[in-house]
Amino acid sequence: MSFISASGVKYAYEDSDKLALKGITLKVNKGEFVALLGHNGCGKSTMAKTLNALLTPSEGVIYVDGMDTSDEEVTYEIRRNVGLVLQNPDNQLVASIIEEDVAFGPENLGVEPAEIRRRVDNALKAVDMYEYRTHAPHKLSGGQKQRVAIAGILAMEPSCIVFDEPTAMLDPNGREEVMRTIKTLKEKGITIVLITHYMEEAVLADRVIVMDEGEILIQGEPEKVFSQVNLLKKHALDVPQATELAYKLIGAGLRFSKMPLNTDECVSLLEEALG
Amino acid sequence: MSIIEVKDLSFTYGIKTPFEKKAVDSLNLSINEGEIIGLIGHTGSGKSTFVQMLNGLIKPTSGQVFLNGEDIWAKPKEIRKIRFKVGMVFQYPEYQLFDETVYDDIAFGPKNMGLSGEDIDATVKKAAMFSGLSEKLLKKSPFDLSGGEKRRAAIAGVIAMDPDVLVLDEPTAGLDPKGKALLLSQINSYHRERNNTVIIVSHSMEDIAQIADRVLVMNKGRLEMFDTPKKVFAQADRLESMGLRVPQITKIMLTLKQKGYDVSDGVLTVEQAFCEIVSLLKKEGKI
Repeated sequence: MSFISASGVKYAYEDSDKLALKGITLKVNKGEFVALLGHNGCGKSTMAKTLNALLTPSEGVIYVDGMDTSDEEVTYEIRRNVGLVLQNPDNQLVASIIEEDVAFGPENLGVEPAEIRRRVDNALKAVDMYEYRTHAPHKLSGGQKQRVAIAGILAMEPSCIVFDEPTAMLDPNGREEVMRTIKTLKEKGITIVLITHYMEEAVLADRVIVMDEGEILIQGEPEKVFSQVNLLKKHALDVPQATELAYKLIGAGLRFSKMPLNTDECVSLLEEALG
Repeated sequence: MSIIEVKDLSFTYGIKTPFEKKAVDSLNLSINEGEIIGLIGHTGSGKSTFVQMLNGLIKPTSGQVFLNGEDIWAKPKEIRKIRFKVGMVFQYPEYQLFDETVYDDIAFGPKNMGLSGEDIDATVKKAAMFSGLSEKLLKKSPFDLSGGEKRRAAIAGVIAMDPDVLVLDEPTAGLDPKGKALLLSQINSYHRERNNTVIIVSHSMEDIAQIADRVLVMNKGRLEMFDTPKKVFAQADRLESMGLRVPQITKIMLTLKQKGYDVSDGVLTVEQAFCEIVSLLKKEGKI
């Protein structure tokens, strides 16, 4: 069953006569991991904000777990259900002790104290930050801060988390920590929508959706989408270097059994070809 | 000739407090005039502290920074002059735009340097051109620009002071692939025209591989490597042990080499990898 179902969604910002979303129709299944790609200004972040009713469509309708996002009666229920993690971890942490920060969400939902304790512990364990629970957030690395921000969302027990460029400000280690955490959440059955400019992150998704000028340009399994090297390049988007190399080699007359998306796949395909 | 020379440079935060931490530890290095230096290191490796000592925003705990052979702290009262010679573009500089128009924002630096009317005008227009901002954008409020344009406007504000050394801290963070490519090519063409020295701090190994003449690797406050991108990125294992990575294409070619194939290490571009694989395939008669 689809968890998110958007049909004909249009959105225009108040001070603009241009549509940021030009009629998006989209389904995301329960437990699916979807990556949303596209250059700045293509409407990805606008789309993300419509998924937890921070913005409501000017036209069209979005159902989240069967609830209409335009129905104000269910706004809070939708926001509890769909968590949002943003780019800058420093802007998302509010308390001076990590476990208090994680407790902020459930406290505001009016959850019982004993239940808050249980949720905070579970959330911190899920992102592998439990042993830091009594530390101060400002002493952490970027990746650790971002994982605490994710724990803060988890403590509200959402069924879906939307990540808007969660690794843009992190160093290579921090990026890997966050991506590992996202994969764990996916295994726990949480629906994931990941907005990113990093192709090596997008290839980890079940499905990649590429947006351009407020519309969906192409979508499908990562292998299928990234094989369209020309189309993506024409729209000023990147493909992983592994895929680009294979694409060039195919142009030079080589045959591959599949399109490589990462280092290991590329190396083994090249080994096959070179013999 | 070296434009910057650093001798036994150290900086310790919070001296005599429980939080005392050596951020930069006995650095010795020199940077040549006209070089593009890529500076990499994990979060907390001391990169930002180091670059802030280059223009006197942070005073070293010990050691010296020489600019054109002169100790920048020889006359502490004149440290402001150094800041015009070593221009600093911080992370997310678009949050530092403040004036009513893009033009006024870019003109702020030159005005403070004491330039007058016509000179300011020429300087602003030149800086805008170098940053790839069209003249019609100059009349707009900086807050009405797109993300990529704001970033370039903020960089123009520093370029307008015509610094001999331009330091950019994570200039491409958060930009999409197109904005990233555009910004890097603007920096490159500005560099070629002006032949100034550029230091780029980045977490993107691909960017560094593409633009830098030499790569400076910092780890735990110390200088770990300082060499050409080819030589630095050939040492994938060593970089990975420091929490860094090499570009994906470099990694692919290094793995093939380890498996015994006749390819070079330190391959930095897809184009180069393609040529090497094709010549291997031809040699084997596979294509």
